[in-house]
Amino acid sequence: MSEVVPKQPGETLFGFLMLALSLFLFWQSYEIAGFSALSSPGAFPMAVSAIMVISSCVAIVHDFKRPADSFEWQHFFERILPPVVGVMIGIIFVFAVMLETVGFLLTAFAFLVVTIKMLHKGTMAYTTLISALGLVVIYLVFRVIFVVVLPEGLIPESDIMSAIKEMIG
Amino acid sequence: MDALSYFAMSWLDPSLLILTALGTFLGIYVGAIPGLSVTMAVSILISFTFSWDVNDALCLMVGIYMGGVYGGSRTAILLNIPGAPSAIATALDGYPLAQRGEAGEAIGLSTIMSVIGGFIGIIVLAVAAPNVSEFALSFQPRDYMMLAVLGIMLVGSLAGDSLAKGIFAGAMGMLIGTVGLDPLTAEERFTFGVTELWNGINPVAVMIGMFGISEALNQLHHLDKMAVKQKIDRIIPHWSNIKKYFGLSVQSSTLGVVIGALPGTGGDIAALMAYDHAKRITKNPEVPFGKGAKEGLVAPESANNAAVGGAYIPMLTLGIPGDAVTAVFIGALFIHGLNPGPLLLTEKPEMFWFTVGNLTLANIFVLIFGLTGIRLFAKIVECPKGILIPLIFLLSIVGAYSINNSVADIWWMLGFGVLGYFMKMYGYQLGPVILGVILSRLMDENWRRAIISEREDLGSFFLNLASSPLSAFLLTSIVLIFLSQTPVWARWIRPLWAGKEDKAQA
Amino acid sequence: MKKRLLSTIAALAFAAAPAFAAEYPSKDIQGIIQWGAGGSTDAVMRAVSPHAEKVLGTDIVLTNKTGGVGAIAMKYVNAKKGDGYTLLMGAENPQMYKVLDLANIDYNDMIPVSILARGTPIFVARNDAPYNNMQEMIDYAKANPGKVKVGSTGPGGLTSIVMAMVDSQVKLDVTSIPYDGDGPALTALQGGAIDVMPSVLGASIEHVKAGRMKVIGLMDETPHPLLPGIDPITKTLPGLEKLLPWGPFFGVFVKADTPADVVTKLSTAFNESAQQPDFKALMDSRGFTLMGISGKEAQDFLTAYRSVSSWIVYDAGFAKKSPEEFGIKRPE
Repeated sequence: MSEVVPKQPGETLFGFLMLALSLFLFWQSYEIAGFSALSSPGAFPMAVSAIMVISSCVAIVHDFKRPADSFEWQHFFERILPPVVGVMIGIIFVFAVMLETVGFLLTAFAFLVVTIKMLHKGTMAYTTLISALGLVVIYLVFRVIFVVVLPEGLIPESDIMSAIKEMIG
Repeated sequence: MDALSYFAMSWLDPSLLILTALGTFLGIYVGAIPGLSVTMAVSILISFTFSWDVNDALCLMVGIYMGGVYGGSRTAILLNIPGAPSAIATALDGYPLAQRGEAGEAIGLSTIMSVIGGFIGIIVLAVAAPNVSEFALSFQPRDYMMLAVLGIMLVGSLAGDSLAKGIFAGAMGMLIGTVGLDPLTAEERFTFGVTELWNGINPVAVMIGMFGISEALNQLHHLDKMAVKQKIDRIIPHWSNIKKYFGLSVQSSTLGVVIGALPGTGGDIAALMAYDHAKRITKNPEVPFGKGAKEGLVAPESANNAAVGGAYIPMLTLGIPGDAVTAVFIGALFIHGLNPGPLLLTEKPEMFWFTVGNLTLANIFVLIFGLTGIRLFAKIVECPKGILIPLIFLLSIVGAYSINNSVADIWWMLGFGVLGYFMKMYGYQLGPVILGVILSRLMDENWRRAIISEREDLGSFFLNLASSPLSAFLLTSIVLIFLSQTPVWARWIRPLWAGKEDKAQA
Repeated sequence: MKKRLLSTIAALAFAAAPAFAAEYPSKDIQGIIQWGAGGSTDAVMRAVSPHAEKVLGTDIVLTNKTGGVGAIAMKYVNAKKGDGYTLLMGAENPQMYKVLDLANIDYNDMIPVSILARGTPIFVARNDAPYNNMQEMIDYAKANPGKVKVGSTGPGGLTSIVMAMVDSQVKLDVTSIPYDGDGPALTALQGGAIDVMPSVLGASIEHVKAGRMKVIGLMDETPHPLLPGIDPITKTLPGLEKLLPWGPFFGVFVKADTPADVVTKLSTAFNESAQQPDFKALMDSRGFTLMGISGKEAQDFLTAYRSVSSWIVYDAGFAKKSPEEFGIKRPE
């Protein structure tokens, strides 16, 4: 049923990376308890990582049989990792770093404004409105209804919340 | 007659009726939002409902449970982010259906099948609870291990074009599952001296990353493409469709009840095994599996809701939780002054029929709430991608954070999201990874218990594999499935059945 | 009825308790539970907190933070400010962290707000096991080396310490089969995968009452009201007297630099809550002994527990570090 798919740029390299990872993990599994016993904590990880090593070797051999265009970085950045994907990964990374210190509300709002502006390209007012709306819904669902305590950071949320509660109650 | 009056208790008392409805409604959202789990919601409710009457509290919680298990399918179908591990199998064919503009029909079908599954679970609970729970207790560590082997053979069906890459992905998942302090000896495994890793990598974080993040990153390639227009004229599936899949639904549900009743396994494993079952028995699907086969939606959805009734079986009869949620229920009963245990039904006989009636009621509410508002939900997919994708990212991040209130889970989610993105690009399927993560502990722990029981003697271990009828049955199933999936079958055994069309080669 | 519904919505939306603007609890308190939802620590803490909320006049938001045998929750609380707004709600495990090399802090480095209750360990066996008391079990195990399968919950867990205590008196060759918690192990006992299991009374009492397993020993010096006719283990192994009574406990703790008036307020609230009739009834039915102690009394209790447990595992050979390194005295 499946016809032969030509190789993607970087596929062979990725295969070797996975093999390297498997070998590293096999060594780590061996470090847990060596070949001491069938029931040792390391036995199962060793068996599984051995399967990883073997199957990644087989995959590499299979991949060699498939046709490939000559590798060019240009193709890689067109088909596999276009700039927008790389930038997005970077932005989420920054989000996670700032979350604890700056707090959820500010980082999430900034995240939504930046990414929606970047991807949707609407007017600034529209972007801000949509971001605020999305944030309010997520905040209500997680923080208020299901009492997940999100990182506070710079905005003293719990003080504000208890002030509101006092006003109501 | 007593039984009937207890059964109808939650139907006739308006306050219980409304609490069940409210619970089911909330449950659907708890289930649909990745990172929020039914276990978490029910334990929050324990504190809230502390001063209530026990029946009121139970109605709310039962509703959440029933609705929550169903709700996981919503986000699985619409966004490819399973709301809970039990909806992973649903995403495999549900999301492709939504991509083809059939989200409405997919949700409708999964609702009906969930409800059928739910009812089968309840019926088994009502008529056969004591027998099933004794059967479930008779599973020995070696049987659990074989169950895990049966599950892991699913890799064969999930691998896609390259079996080697599929096996690699499955093994990687199992290795991810072993990270952390070994639950049996507290030995550190792959922790590299980091305390945060002691608890291992949460499967939900892996799941949100591999499904949600990697798919959303993938979608960035097609930003300029218009969102798929959803056909929403038909929500309630054709009667002929329901009839067509009814048989499969019953089989999957039966599987679901048994797996749900086993104290070591729950709806997630049940759904995956049902998916595998569907794939094996469906000879000519209209659409291939993985591309939007309805069978691939029917089986897991029936099974995971049937597992709810299953999980109650050992809980009500023996006070042994069938899964994580029923464990919290046991805690709740204690707090309300009941003694959940093997004597519960002697001391409080009304509890049994009250619960059965209440589960039935909640299941009906699943049907009602499930079938209303689908149009609105299906619209989500039509929302411009430039707005939808950032919201998916934010939801995934908050979801990952709320699993355990820690930023570490966000890192895992992001890491596995990026890894999953590249794996998908290079022809590695992600289904096997999640499968491996889920089955890892079941396999590892029970293998070790089994071999320790034999004092490390492999000979007597294998001898015992065939010692009880149950073990022998499981072993035979493994061998048969293995043979049917490997060339041995196609080359030598298959020709013996002359006249069959040879389509399994693909 | 309408009121109930409204209160549900109110509870889900804002959490209902009115806030009195006193000096200390001026906002929500976070309670960090060391163990997962559905466990016994979780159940106890969720049962006691609503009472404490009433006394304190503020909400206690409970969060489960599991992992690292509870060490992650402990480190989290100690990383927060010592202002009484973050409570650690845990079980006995941290008292073993130092010798098992899991963390460099334990409860002795924190302030106990209240030790709520303590449990009694017992020995249960599957019904058709060929022994009915400790002496018979010991004789059987000696006659059949390696044949008795004992359920275990990992090194440092209750079962390992109880077995180490027995081992300090009489050497037995048993096969110990590890489970990740006493719940799964007790289930396996009923399925016949294991024969004997040291367990805390509350976890197994219902199964015993229903006749699904039998009690063969009581790890205490005095008989227990819930277990008539079961001799305390000191009758069989008198050498254990100096180590008993010993048992798991539940408590609420705050960081060491928390102001004294805040600690007093919290202690009063939790100790009062522990005396509430429904909490008492809950503890009784689960076979826990109610304590509700704080201050010096609680600290002495913690120190004694740590000394017995640390030395017993050290002597049994599965401690990673010597208790002496941390100045933990051997029990007299």
